[in-house]
Amino acid sequence: MNGHHQLSLKVLLGTALALGVLTILTVSVAKIHIPSPFNIVVAIAIAVVKAYLVVMYFMNLKNDKKFNLLSFGFSILFLLILVGLTMLDTMFRVEVIPGF
Amino acid sequence: MAHSSNSTLAHHFVDSEQQFDASKMGMWIFLVTEILFFGGLFATYIIYRAWYPDLYIMASSQLDTSMGAINTGILILSSLTMALSIWAAQHNDRKKTTIFLAVTIICAISFMIIKYFEYTHKFHLGIFPGANYTFTGIDHVKAPQFFSIYFMMTGLHGIHVIIGIGLISWLIFKNQKQAFNSSYYTPIEIIGLYWHVVDIIWIFLFPLLYLID
Repeated sequence: MNGHHQLSLKVLLGTALALGVLTILTVSVAKIHIPSPFNIVVAIAIAVVKAYLVVMYFMNLKNDKKFNLLSFGFSILFLLILVGLTMLDTMFRVEVIPGF
Repeated sequence: MAHSSNSTLAHHFVDSEQQFDASKMGMWIFLVTEILFFGGLFATYIIYRAWYPDLYIMASSQLDTSMGAINTGILILSSLTMALSIWAAQHNDRKKTTIFLAVTIICAISFMIIKYFEYTHKFHLGIFPGANYTFTGIDHVKAPQFFSIYFMMTGLHGIHVIIGIGLISWLIFKNQKQAFNSSYYTPIEIIGLYWHVVDIIWIFLFPLLYLID
């Protein structure tokens, strides 16, 4: 009849459980004070894994049309270009812009 | 191909499958603009953190980690119930669809209530965005800047949560009027996509703002 992907209850509950565990993990890791910059790396890595789980299983991009995955991928790519190119400027100034 | 008697199928689509995919693609394009919309704020955050790393460590101590963590849990739960409402719609279970959507709204309102307590506590201390900042507890000349970024990021996110509450309320209204079934639940699907993006934004805001220390 319809080719919509049928969601699996087991996968949805498992995803939520994994997200909960990762939230507890990221709070615990923050409490043990890993030296900078590794604390930021670990926090972002956990957040990326959590976002991946939400996108792939809750938003079901895993079984969706590839064009949607491509669109999403490009949004991340352009976000990195925005941050990267701006930092090439802001990080290599002799002085921070006055007033900023 | 036989003419469809499906009342939810617009005439310019071949079949409801194509219509569903088109709606979903449109939503994904919108979500791309949402990611880049928040992306501007994330870029601001990153640049200021690179300029003033000490400021972020000092100012983050004013944020209540347990409130942030509870709100993270609430949003994860709401994402689960949002996905479950689609699962229920796929199984033609109208009652469960409404229940899961209602739980999603309750989570969203709880999130905003906690956010309200966080904001009012800061306002009480004199922590306002921009020029209205009067708090003296953080010994850093750029302290107001951190809280401007904090209020803009969490504020824009909060606005999205409130819009989500409105959209999901409309879904419940339509579901009670028997608008959805296992072969047509497109609005639940695409508002669900929106809701999950709101969750993802918070997944990044939580460690970036609350867990710096």
